[in-house]
This record gives sequence, C-alpha cells and structure tokens, in this order.
Amino acid sequence: MAEVRLENVVKRYGGFTALPKLDLHVNEGEFLVLLGPSGCGKTTTMRLIAGLEEITEGDLLIGGERVNDKEPKDRDIAMVFQNYGLYPHMSVADNIGYPLKLRGLGKSERMAQVRKVAEKVELGELLDRRPSELSGGQRQRVALARAIVRRPQLFLMDEPLSNLDAKLRVTMRAELKHMHHEMGITTVYVTHDQMEAMTLASRIVVMNKGRIVQLDTPERIYSEPADLFVADFIGSPSMNLIHGQIAGGTFTAEGISLPVSAPDRAKVVLGIRPEDLQISDASTAPIKAPIFALELTGESTLVTLRAGATQLCARGAADFRAKMDDTCGLAPRPGGRIHLFDPESGLRLPS
Amino acid sequence: MRDRGLPFVLMAPAFLIVLATTLYPLSYSLITSFREWRLTRQRRPGDFVGIDNYTGAFTNHEFLSSLWVTTVFVTISVVATVVLAMALALLLRRTGRLHTFVRIILILPFAMSPALIGVSFRFMFNPEFGVLAQGLGAIFPFLKGVAWLADPRFAMGILIVTDVWHWVPYMTFMCLGGLTAVPRETEEAARIDGASGFRILWEIILPQMRGVLVVVAILKTIFALKMFDQVVTLTGGGPGASTETLAYFVFKVGFHWFDMGQASAMAWILTAIMMVISIWYVRLLMSERKLVTA
Ligand SMILES: Nc1ncnc2c1ncn2[C@@H]1O[C@H](COP(=O)(O)OP(=O)(O)O)[C@@H](O)[C@H]1O
Ligand SMILES: [Mg+2]
Repeated sequence: MAEVRLENVVKRYGGFTALPKLDLHVNEGEFLVLLGPSGCGKTTTMRLIAGLEEITEGDLLIGGERVNDKEPKDRDIAMVFQNYGLYPHMSVADNIGYPLKLRGLGKSERMAQVRKVAEKVELGELLDRRPSELSGGQRQRVALARAIVRRPQLFLMDEPLSNLDAKLRVTMRAELKHMHHEMGITTVYVTHDQMEAMTLASRIVVMNKGRIVQLDTPERIYSEPADLFVADFIGSPSMNLIHGQIAGGTFTAEGISLPVSAPDRAKVVLGIRPEDLQISDASTAPIKAPIFALELTGESTLVTLRAGATQLCARGAADFRAKMDDTCGLAPRPGGRIHLFDPESGLRLPS
Repeated sequence: MRDRGLPFVLMAPAFLIVLATTLYPLSYSLITSFREWRLTRQRRPGDFVGIDNYTGAFTNHEFLSSLWVTTVFVTISVVATVVLAMALALLLRRTGRLHTFVRIILILPFAMSPALIGVSFRFMFNPEFGVLAQGLGAIFPFLKGVAWLADPRFAMGILIVTDVWHWVPYMTFMCLGGLTAVPRETEEAARIDGASGFRILWEIILPQMRGVLVVVAILKTIFALKMFDQVVTLTGGGPGASTETLAYFVFKVGFHWFDMGQASAMAWILTAIMMVISIWYVRLLMSERKLVTA
C-alpha cells in the first residue's frame, strides 16, 4: 500500500501537450477513479504513474519516494489493461504466474499461489487453457488474477470493464469493489463511464482536456458539481442546463419562471437534475412546455419538454401517461437542488 | 441455368499451360533420371538403367562433397538471415523519419540481381583493387593482402555474406509485419510484471513471432538450397570444389559433363531434400497453430 503524488506534472508528446499541469494526491488505500471524456488524458496519467511513458516535467512520488527515473518493474505496481494484455502463448496458469516467475519463485510454490488466486477469481477450472479459449469476462479475471498475485503496493486499471457486455460489467464492478475492500490496496482506476466511477470510487477525479476539473467524493461530485462540464458529464440523463437571468429572486427563461434565492444576474445558467423535477399541475407550475418525448425506462418515465431552444428532462412515475405535444407542467421536487453557474467561466455560483 | 462445365472450360487453357510448363519437364526429368543419357555419346535418351544414376550419385565423391557444402551453406545462411532480419526488424519497429528512411534504403539489396551481386562482390574482394579487401586490410592489418576468394574458408564466408546481404532486407520486412501483430500491451504488461528487456524479447515477443519466423526460415531454406547465381559469378565453385553447391554441381554434371541421366537424378535428390525439409517446417507450423488456437 502506498500513496501517490503527482506534483506539477506536465506531459508533452512532441508539440502536443496532453497534460498541461497536473497535481494529484492519491491517498493510501483509496480507490481513486479518473473520469472524463475520451482523449482527456486519463490513460496518459495512468501510463505516467506506471512508468510506461516518460514525465516531461514535474515529480511523481510513490510511497514518498521520487520514481520519475525508475523502471516500471521497480515501482512495485500492477496494471490491468483495457484489452487485458494477456500473453497469448501462455496458459492461464503461466499468465498468472509470470510475475512470480520473474521474481524467481520456484515452480511448486508458484503453482500453489496461482491456484489460490485463481480460486478467488473463479478460474480454478481453466488453468490449462489459453487466453484465446476464454470469454471476455474470463480473460478479464485472468488479468485481475495476474495483477493481484504478487500483492503490489499500487493497482492501476485502465478501463478494465469497457470490453465486457453490460450485464457482466455490473457483476465485475461489484467484484472489483469487494476485492478492493478485502485487499485494501491503493487503486487508480480509469473510466469514461460515470456510473462505474460513481459506484466504485472513494474519490473521483473529473478530467477535461488534460486538466483536473474536480476532485471529490462521488456524493459531492453529484450534488455540487464544480462547473458546467462536471454538471453536464455526471448523471444520466444529464442535468438540465437552462440559460436565463435572475431578477428579484426569480429565474426566468422561455416557458420558465422559477423562484431562486440568489442575487440578480443578467446572465446565468440554472441547473436542475431530472430526478429533482416532478410533474405538476400545468396551470400553476413554474415550468410549462409541450412534451417533446416520453421514454419508459422501467422504474420511471423520462419526460422531455421543449421550452424554447432548451430541452428539459424530468423523471416521472412509471405509470405517467400523456400525449406528445400536450403542455406539461414541471416543478422542483421539495428538497431538490438547484445549481447556478456563471455562463462565461462555467464555474459554480455560491447559493 | 448455370452451366457447371463452363468454369472448367474457361480454366482449361491456363491449366494446360501450367501442365505443359511444369508437369512435363518434371516428369521428363524424373524419367530421364532412370536412363543412361550422355550427350557426348548419344543424342537421344538411351536405356533404362534402374536406380543406377541414384546409386551413382551417392558413391560420387564430388556429389557428396557438394551435399556437405550445401549443408554448411544453408545452415549458416538461414540462421544468420533469420537472426539478422529479426534484429533489424526490432530496431526498425519504431516509427520516425530515420526509421522510414532506413526501411526504404533496405529495399535496394533485394532489388539487385543475385548474379550481379556475385560479380560486384568479386570486384570488391579483389586483393589488388577491391574496396572491401583494401578497407578490411586497412582496419585489420593482419588481413592485409589476403587473397579472399582463393582461400576456401573465406570464399565460403563471402558467398554466405552475399546471400545474407541479399535476403536480410526482405526477411526484415516479413518480421516487421509479424511484429506489428504482437500487441504492445503484452510487452508493457511484462515490463510492469518485472521482466528485463532480454526476457521480454525471449519470453514474450519471440514466442508470439514463432509462426512468422518459421515461414521466414522455410522460404530462406528453400532459396538457400537452390543457391546457384552467386556461385557462378563469384567463386565458380572454387577454390577447388569448396563452394560447389548442389545446384551448381547438378548444372556442372549436366552442362559441362553432359551426363543428363546423372544430373536429373541429382536434381531429384535435391528436390526430395527440399520436400522433406518443407514438410518438417509445416509440421512445426501446425504444432504452433495447435498451441495457439486449439
Ligand atoms: N503516444 C502519443 N503520441 C501523441 N499523442 C498522444 C499519444 N498518446 C496520447 N496522445 C494524445 O493525448 C491525449 C490524451 O490521450 P489519452 O490519455 O489516451 O486519453 P484518454 O485515455 O483520456 O481517452 C489525446 O489527445 C491523445 O491523442
Ligand atoms: Mg484511454
């Protein structure tokens, strides 16, 4: 177990700056998730920590020691790759045992440890197979087993579940969480799937264009997004963001007139999550607009209204029925949160 | 309605041409190999003599010597080509301006005709005015004045060098192709798992390259077994018979000594050797397929 520190880390590929300046502190034993859209620098960050990529500027410390110039093999880490990175010419047992073989463990002791780990990830029956004879989920388990077999001080996982089908992803997610709980090894986990991030992380780092936008617990990332990017990125369906103005304690935009407790502002973005809106009587509701779409998801109905140029989504009861283009009213749920952002800087306004 | 016979009719001319140009000479030479036919005495093939020509080959000192010369030549040339091609491929794997430039340059040796290579190396190793002979003499004083092509071991060495020089580029491209099929992640995983550069090469990259390397070795072996052009233009089989390969000796028996029956038998022995080696390689390839996909 170890803490990881990135201090003023810069990464350039030739003329292209992938990470302009990164400061990140991963606490000992935590499950830190790097979340962000494709191309924002998550993999780059991970590869810098692993030592697969050279740091252009700044310092990387693992367990308090500067490791910039250390080879990956001397950093005592294990990594799970998106495409698993299994050795195709080796059996499952040899794949899992390879890190131990490299550490000079004898064959019998190696096999004993391999068996123990294989049992843990339910691969006991498949030890003689080759990776090509396994399903995606099984390959993922082999990659995990290979990572945990030598109990490194740091786990790195780069979108390990993204090649699995939706159902398996949910199962593996729970298994990963349980494994982290059991072993307590510091883990840095990369994903572009906010659901995965929310469920797994002890803290989430939201990244955009090579910069950290917000680093916080999943709860706070969800309830207090630091800016418009995070507000939009986290949550599914994503937060309604409405451009308008505030005057005399009322937010107004086309079809919307909502009381807010905030000072006057000529330009502001109001954010409210679909689950913080409820369907209400069209005659008195603060939001009134024609229905643009109705989507039944099973446990609820997603109601989308078109108010001027903006679309507003609300989560209604599963048995809600209405006709398209009918006018529908929406009101904030009691206790629902309203977020305000500065449209220029995108930053959250105190409320 | 589709005429089932039409494809066959359309293919017939091509098929006949192939038949006429390969099967006919092949079977003709096979038949000849069982007959007495010396052009110095008779214009037409003579009596059938059973396997006399074959037993004759194996009791012929010069034939056995050329068999040995070929074995030495093929072994060293194949091993050297595979090793060098693989090494070069590893060096050229990364992309960059220099790498691309070297890749382009590499095509040149392969574009040269083998006969021409022989002639130019013969000039370059001329003790009086050869560039390489002079250069080597200047760098290593003890090599000054060596009559390169007049020394059996040097002559064989130079013959191998010309062949390796000719083939390494092409085989490098094959290895480069094979390398692109090795996933980067397996290497990176090994680096993180704690493998040294040497172990990554030996335990991760090369095993995944096995299929390509076997194909490279098959091709190179077949071409080396047929080594002929440079023998003619570089050494003429000499000094003595020290660089007389099988293919060259067969040519000599046929077109210097005009013993067509004997030459045909020897050519067929060479063919048989090639077939046996090819089958062995294919077995090797199949066993690997089994390992990977079974
Ligand atoms: N080897 C490389 N050479 C040049 N640019 C790269 C290289 N690797 C990544 N990049 C660039 O760096 C940025 C971040 O990439 P990456 O870290 O892979 O993003 P993510 O994992 O978040 O999708 C991208 O714009 C990508 O094009
Ligand atoms: Mg990535």
